[in-house]
Amino acid sequence: MEAPPVSVMPVTGGSINMMEYLLQGSVLDQALESLLHRLRGLCDNMEPETFTDHELVYLLKGQQGNPFILRARHSLSHPAAPWHLRYLGQPEVGDKSRHALVRNCLDVSASHSLPDVLNEMGFRMDHEFVANGHVFRRGALKVVVSKLSRVLVPGNTENTERLSLSYLVELSVLAPAGQDTVSEDMRSFAEQLKPLVHLEKIDPSKQRH
Amino acid sequence: MLIKKQREEKQLEASVDLLISRVAHLKNALHNFIYKLENEFERLAWPSVLDNFALVSGQLNTINKLLRNEKTPSFRNQVIIPLELSPDRDDELAKLTEQRVPVFSHEIVPDHLRTKPDPEVEEMEKQLSAEAARLGPEAAQKQIQTLNKLCSNLLEKLNNPREDRDPESSAIRQSKPSFNPADTLALVGAVAFGKGLSKCRPPGPGAPGQGPMMGGGPTLQQVTIGGASGQPGIVVLFFSLLTGKMPSSIKTNIKSASGSMHPYNR
Repeated sequence: MEAPPVSVMPVTGGSINMMEYLLQGSVLDQALESLLHRLRGLCDNMEPETFTDHELVYLLKGQQGNPFILRARHSLSHPAAPWHLRYLGQPEVGDKSRHALVRNCLDVSASHSLPDVLNEMGFRMDHEFVANGHVFRRGALKVVVSKLSRVLVPGNTENTERLSLSYLVELSVLAPAGQDTVSEDMRSFAEQLKPLVHLEKIDPSKQRH
Repeated sequence: MLIKKQREEKQLEASVDLLISRVAHLKNALHNFIYKLENEFERLAWPSVLDNFALVSGQLNTINKLLRNEKTPSFRNQVIIPLELSPDRDDELAKLTEQRVPVFSHEIVPDHLRTKPDPEVEEMEKQLSAEAARLGPEAAQKQIQTLNKLCSNLLEKLNNPREDRDPESSAIRQSKPSFNPADTLALVGAVAFGKGLSKCRPPGPGAPGQGPMMGGGPTLQQVTIGGASGQPGIVVLFFSLLTGKMPSSIKTNIKSASGSMHPYNR
């Protein structure tokens, strides 16, 4: 009997119970060049990386409780690349001694049939957007500077409209739970981007309404 | 009168001793530094070079302070007279000067005990004062003003270095902010909940397999799904595959689902 294709392989890796430490901010379009310039100076010496991604956010609501959310993302600039499925836990922002927002985070790569699978499972797409921008790294730190765009006609990523006159700036680190020292590194890095960008831990639940 | 003189002499002696010891310290530091530069330059790190510089400059400062101190008698008023000159080698002197001056002779004394500038310097000074005397007071005044103006301009430039050299960043800093906190919140809301994203979508696209879409407003909490009651069971399976644990909000669903029907018997 043939062994079934192992589609759940990523789970067996060491990526379980990783936490994402996150700081967020934004930069106006006209100051983008200055920020990129500074990031090129601060970050690891590598080829500048740009991306254009399409993110679809799927919801599943049971009889009670909060809906269960999964994020599916795929690259528009590299259509052959695998899809990326991401689960994000409830953010913890209360702890004052921590300088960053912390949430459970799970990343799995997936095949191109991911949207169909999710639909079959009962997930429904809640919203989608296109993000394009730049990625920088410094050691474990990752800085993503991206422009968010609405998708005007569902599924048609050609027809988009930008969401605001600013770029979203996110500084994140993936680390095993309890490694709060990384938030110190993040804070010192964020200090170096001031006054161009103020990276803060922002409680997203306050933006819900 | 005599007592006063004695006291002055004592003071002079003490301050000379102090000066000698300070200069010896400085000489030591310079000696060490030069030794390091010549012999350990391969291993010498820049910070330690800076440390050495700081040491030397600190010692020079101390000497300056010592000389300016009120208690230090003015060395300028002291006269040194060579009492004896001899063309023979003086071992004691050579030892005192670390073999630099072996003979106290007619040849070297004028150089070592010299209090005036070198003859060439004296010549240059003479030329300069002649030139200054030729210049009329009005022309001199004008030149002084020009020099003052240049100096103040230069000082201003040095005091505000960044704004002049880095016009771009100073423009950003002064005139316009580089970020907008409201935009930050809007963008964070958008990535977290799709705030402002789903509103523009025409309601109810007819794609098969797509559930009812909400036409606007906050969506995450209002979405209803048309799935069968058994479906959460699959999701739990999926989720537990991903995380290795059960989310508490879904656990309750398992009970209800397994109690009513088996998720796979559809």
